[in-house]
Amino acid sequence: MDRIRISFRLNGVEREAFVSPEERLLDMLRDDMGMKSVKEGCGTGDCGTCTVLVNGKPVLSCIMPAFQARGKEITTLEGLNEDSAMKVIQDKFREYHAAQCGFCTPAMEIVGYKLIKESDGVPSKEEVKEGISGVLCRCTGYYDIVDALRSAAEVIKK
Amino acid sequence: MSVSVEEFIGELQRKAERGELLYIGQSLRRIDDLEKVLGKPIYTNDLLPRETLYARLVLSKQPHAILKGIGVARAISYPTVKAVLTYQDIPGENISSTIIPDRPLFAFEKVRSTGDIVAAVIAENERRAAEATELVDVQYEPLPAVFDPIEAMKPDAPKVHSEGNVIKHMKVRKGDVEKGFQDSDIIVENTFRTQFQDAVPLEAETALAIPRDNGKLLIIGSMQTPHHVQAAVARVLGRPLEDIEVIQAVTGGAFGPKSDEPPYDVSSIAALGAIKTGRPVLMSMTRKESMIAHTKRHPAIIHHKTGVKSNGRLVASEVQIVLDGGAYASLGVLVIVRATFHANGPYDIPNVKNDGYKVYTNNTYTGSFRGFGAPQAIFAAEAQMDEIARKLNMDPLDLRLMNMLRPGSRTSTGQLMDDSCGLPECVDAVVSASNYREKRREYSQQSGKVRRGIGIAMLHHGNALGPEGNDYAYVHLSVEKNGRVHLGTALTEYGTGAVSGLAQIAASVLGIPLDYFVLDRPDTLAHHETGATVASRVTAIGGNAARDAAMKLKERATAVAARLLGVSPSDVRIVDGLAFVSGNPKRTVSWEEVVRAAYESGVELSVIGYYMAPQCVWDQETGLGSPYNQYTFGAAVAEVEVDVETGQYRVLNYYVAFDVGKAINPKNVIGQLYGGSVQGIGYAMMEELVHVNGKVVNPNLKDYYIPTSMDVPERMVPIIVEKPGSMGVYGAKIIAEPPIVLPAPAIRNAIMNAIGDGVNDLPITAEKVYRKAKELGLG
Ligand code: FES
Ligand code: FES
Repeated sequence: MDRIRISFRLNGVEREAFVSPEERLLDMLRDDMGMKSVKEGCGTGDCGTCTVLVNGKPVLSCIMPAFQARGKEITTLEGLNEDSAMKVIQDKFREYHAAQCGFCTPAMEIVGYKLIKESDGVPSKEEVKEGISGVLCRCTGYYDIVDALRSAAEVIKK
Repeated sequence: MSVSVEEFIGELQRKAERGELLYIGQSLRRIDDLEKVLGKPIYTNDLLPRETLYARLVLSKQPHAILKGIGVARAISYPTVKAVLTYQDIPGENISSTIIPDRPLFAFEKVRSTGDIVAAVIAENERRAAEATELVDVQYEPLPAVFDPIEAMKPDAPKVHSEGNVIKHMKVRKGDVEKGFQDSDIIVENTFRTQFQDAVPLEAETALAIPRDNGKLLIIGSMQTPHHVQAAVARVLGRPLEDIEVIQAVTGGAFGPKSDEPPYDVSSIAALGAIKTGRPVLMSMTRKESMIAHTKRHPAIIHHKTGVKSNGRLVASEVQIVLDGGAYASLGVLVIVRATFHANGPYDIPNVKNDGYKVYTNNTYTGSFRGFGAPQAIFAAEAQMDEIARKLNMDPLDLRLMNMLRPGSRTSTGQLMDDSCGLPECVDAVVSASNYREKRREYSQQSGKVRRGIGIAMLHHGNALGPEGNDYAYVHLSVEKNGRVHLGTALTEYGTGAVSGLAQIAASVLGIPLDYFVLDRPDTLAHHETGATVASRVTAIGGNAARDAAMKLKERATAVAARLLGVSPSDVRIVDGLAFVSGNPKRTVSWEEVVRAAYESGVELSVIGYYMAPQCVWDQETGLGSPYNQYTFGAAVAEVEVDVETGQYRVLNYYVAFDVGKAINPKNVIGQLYGGSVQGIGYAMMEELVHVNGKVVNPNLKDYYIPTSMDVPERMVPIIVEKPGSMGVYGAKIIAEPPIVLPAPAIRNAIMNAIGDGVNDLPITAEKVYRKAKELGLG
């Protein structure tokens, strides 16, 4: 099987990988790069738990071929764990019990982070709901997640 | 902020007066979520050792057929394939069942549904394994099939198994319904239907089997009850229990199917593969495999006949429930028991006759799922109440107030409500929070395209296992030399925070902060078998075992502290990790010092707590008696806005109150009210796994909709009511399941208020509302 050599930046570090044409970004991140925060809830682009940032934009890694990562900047939760805004989000997720089973949590935090970074001021409830609408959660009913993110935004935007 | 010594001492003394309730009722942070918010590798699929192989399933293409042959030669020679497993590879018994041994792990002689597993392919590479499944050549000789449970009950219907298709018939007989109907002024009859619902835990079923050097096997998986999985795998392998250790990994949602037979399947297949290849094997279902091959909520056809006095008093209720069991019994034989016990709703009715049937069909099988028969039963019962109210020209709330369970009334099985019954308080709470009466008046005179409606629903929910098994639990506590306390139990956590709640109870009894606690992974080798983690019973039942363990540990720690303080143990108090003499908190010794002294003097700080609930007594033939030790109560009001021209509607506001006895951690309770309600809103409005001739046509999240953040009501108001029960720890009642039950009837009744008639089959899609509005000449 032909493999393609690609290089890219992952969480701020130059990386290289040999990927087959069918390999998904999700598999490369989880299996080759050890980024286990990236979850597979469906594999068909419908649940959002595999969301990562590619050049700063949320992307579903289960439907993006790995070779397309060539030359791009990829960010997973592992790369944001030391980020001060992300730390606030994580702390608020705990305060609001917004992580129940936790399976959607990394993706929720990433889309929430993105949303907060890009909004001026604290996003409204509606804006947060819309911002996270691409990620499914089966446990929380979303209310605690929305509250956690808005509360985090209040701290981050101060 | 500095605190003076006096203030600090006063605070300790005051806290000491709370005794073992020190941290009870506080919304403490969970101790199991740090790794989750950091995205740490904690789920089964994150833990693969090097050299792990991947398994993929070959599912039956026929709903009912004789299995003529399985050709594996082409699949075996496919690149990277290491093994193809079929029934011929099972050294032990080919059974993967919970209660009735009717389901083989791998299809044998015939297939009974398209969820039947015919074979599994094991390969180096997941994609290759999937490709090779296409090369397994299965030959079928189709048999006549039956997909409708009512048809399946007829004597000449195709038989799914060798006996008749009725797996279980459950009855309740109270008073004399015929006489009750004669004494009634009106009789109301209706039929209600519900659909297949998929639990969709975001992590699908998965298990990893790792061969050990000593010939034993380690299984790590996503599941609710590790000891049951251990026994199931041992049966398939024909090996003794001690050869198989099962550890529950952090589990990404469960909701019932992971207490039923699917974890047996994935664990057994991984185990067989690991033995055959000598390498670790991961059997992780794809979403599609999961949605076809795991247990779903039973569709139900429910007929109600109710006799009522013209003043609204319910006199007689006759209910027939038929559950589509799919091809196998699973835990569904208990689901029908709960459905039948709750079939009449939370009302005091003198004459009752209920018949519940779980019936085999050639659909994919149905079983345990949050609510366990109550969502179907209460949807029908509460829709029927609004139908009765309409006939009597009464407000549905007044009809309910006249008949509902209160302290001193009796359930359909004749059980006296002498334990604790907070239903009236729940109803009051949602009625006043929602402004129900005023809105009902306001919405009674609407015309035009967009109309609003408000509806109410309520329930009782028998606590914990009751008729479903022995309600016992073990909790282990052991203290490390540094003072950290390990809590271990085979009761599992899958999202609710309940096991963290057990630590909160132990912390409260011991008087040490919750962050001293560490939760050990549930492990069959380390922890006592403790029954199933089902029926939302961790807090109420497990809490009693955690309390028992903490009491035992506290006695030992207190004796050591007394020695250090030079007083008698009865004078020692421990608060926030400090031991001191009661009334004189000036001198303290820390928990760490106490633990160190215990270690140095050979005092063992390791205990096992136990609890067994009182036996429930009821008559098998009539159902009469007390099938449950205590009940949870709840009420909800939904407010909707309907576009009568399109049938589109939204839930604007949802108010929900539950009598939880005692909220150990209120934030956790609210989390269940939110999450359960939204899963119930999915059930009410959009979720339906569609079978056509036994084939699931939408086994994916593109065509099977679950609520997104945009689908939830703008406002949800959760309310906690506390009327302590007699069984649960500190009066706690179970709460994880019942919130899923109320949205369907509350929303249905709200739509009926808006447009003048209700939809009696779930889910209530815009299309059904549109048709209803059309029938009524609206829009
Ligand atoms: S796993 Fe990628 S969207 Fe579900
Ligand atoms: S917390 Fe379980 S899916 Fe969101």
